[in-house]
Amino acid sequence: MMGELIVRNLFHRPVRTFIGILAIAVEVSLVVLVVGLVTGLLAETAKRIEGVGADIVVQPPAASILLGFSGAPMPIKIADKLKELKYVQDVAPTLLQSNSAGGVEVIYGIDPESFRAVSGGFVFLAGHDFERPNDILVDDWAARAKKLKVGDTYNLFNNDWHVAGIVEHGKGARVFVPITTLQDLIGAKDKASIFWIKCTRPEHTEDLMADIGRELPGYTVRPIKEMLSIYTSTNIPGLQIFIDAMIALAVSIGLLVIFLTMYTTVIERTRDIGVLKSLGANAPFIVRTLLMESALLCLGGIAAGVGLSYVARSVFLQIFPTLSIRITTEWIVRAGVIALVGTVIGASYPAWVASKKDAVEALTFD
Amino acid sequence: MTIAATIPAPLVATQGADGRNPGKRSVEPILKTENLWKLYHAGKVEVPALRGVNFEVQPGESVAVMGPSGCGKSSLLYVIGGLAKASRGKVLVDGNDLTELSDAARTKLRRSKIGFVFQRFNLLPTLTAKGNIAIAQYIHGDGFDPHRFDVVTKMLGLDGRLSHKPSEMSGGEQQRVAIARAIINEPKILLADEPTGNLDTRNSEIVLQMLRQLNKDLGQTVVMITHNPEAVTYFDRVVHMRDGVIVDGVPAD
Repeated sequence: MMGELIVRNLFHRPVRTFIGILAIAVEVSLVVLVVGLVTGLLAETAKRIEGVGADIVVQPPAASILLGFSGAPMPIKIADKLKELKYVQDVAPTLLQSNSAGGVEVIYGIDPESFRAVSGGFVFLAGHDFERPNDILVDDWAARAKKLKVGDTYNLFNNDWHVAGIVEHGKGARVFVPITTLQDLIGAKDKASIFWIKCTRPEHTEDLMADIGRELPGYTVRPIKEMLSIYTSTNIPGLQIFIDAMIALAVSIGLLVIFLTMYTTVIERTRDIGVLKSLGANAPFIVRTLLMESALLCLGGIAAGVGLSYVARSVFLQIFPTLSIRITTEWIVRAGVIALVGTVIGASYPAWVASKKDAVEALTFD
Repeated sequence: MTIAATIPAPLVATQGADGRNPGKRSVEPILKTENLWKLYHAGKVEVPALRGVNFEVQPGESVAVMGPSGCGKSSLLYVIGGLAKASRGKVLVDGNDLTELSDAARTKLRRSKIGFVFQRFNLLPTLTAKGNIAIAQYIHGDGFDPHRFDVVTKMLGLDGRLSHKPSEMSGGEQQRVAIARAIINEPKILLADEPTGNLDTRNSEIVLQMLRQLNKDLGQTVVMITHNPEAVTYFDRVVHMRDGVIVDGVPAD
């Protein structure tokens, strides 16, 4: 009976119910998409870093964990020193340069031979490897986003590059240029930002790190596993605060809309509340009815929010193919719980007001 | 011949300016007020709606309360029904003193012992007729009783209308649904606040006849507020009120 009353109440004002569901859906999808975008980008970046195939990375002292934001302060000749160490199979010096035109991306300037040795080489989906100084390789996601194909000209760092090949994504960056050309362009001749090191065997990693530490005191030496673990929201300063702020914003939206929805509901149904009280409904009954109505509204919003999240993700990926948005069951459940808690809080005051209404006044309300 | 003329005169004729009916056999009244006062506050001004009302109703009796607007009829009904709290005095419903009870306890008593019928029907607009009646059973706590439901709805001629919402029913049908809702849990007392006030003559007669039938056939105690002088002929006794007091209580004839 309670269920019938609640459902019929919701359908009695379909527009108001729809707006309530929409608000919750926006709240849920905001949480799911923001978290999904952050974790997706971080996870995808980490996957690409792992895809380079290195066991150890060497960076300058006090280097940023975010690759591409530390400049190129290391002499490239360090690579020769590193190659002499025991347990080193290959070393790939790479020059990282950020490009903020049309979004933020990190361009890798690579030595094709050494990069191939460490990473196992690119999988070419079209075209070929570097043949000329101005050749550029683009991964398939970036090619789709920038609408590039083999043979096109692409302007980067005020230089016209020739798209030589489209490669499979997953090896560090999305865009690769010859390291010497990039060094000339940015005035970093004979410099590198990072050295990717492949060990002879993975179990030699610790020993090799110790050797590198002795050889290059003060330099940042990390095993690739540690590098990957950095790419989580909790490890990047400010990112968790951003996520928490977005969640708080989303909850506020849902809470306020539910508050307003239920408050107007209580006012509109003042006489109905009086009727229920005349039938002997006590305060907990009135509160329970309103909270259950809000909860059902919320459940509808959660379902709609999940759907909206997937639809929005499809749309975003169509427009921005290089984006990675991870929608996980864990965060769908969390977003749902957050929405439900916010709904109960938002509906609590109107429910309390309803339960306290004077029955006689309510019955004569117009 | 009007319907009223067919109703036999009550067995005992009595008079009393205090609403009591001492002519009946000595049984504990099902409803009794002693020196009942109800004060409303309009800003700093106290407005007495009831001024020392002494009122009794015997089990199985039907009483009509009449009086001009503002005389305190509705206030009396709401106080004895436990919807409003008395300012002073006593209100005894089936032996329970409402003035000693908390809001929660009065609600509980109202749920089990009192049924209300209102002038404006006050049906829940989102529920069907069946839902409006069933919710009273749900609130009562016993769940849906299909047998009792069938008996009551058949008695009130609601077959075929149970799946309709209030907006799809006439005033008379809505009021019959309201009566069904009020009696579905077999309350000790049925309180009716001008139940024919929004009905035409024909539907008014139907509703009054039903209230009379409930009283005579089922022994339902009924207290009704009305302006309608013809309505009082359906009741055992009429009580007149003015300015918050009962001025006389006479049998209806």
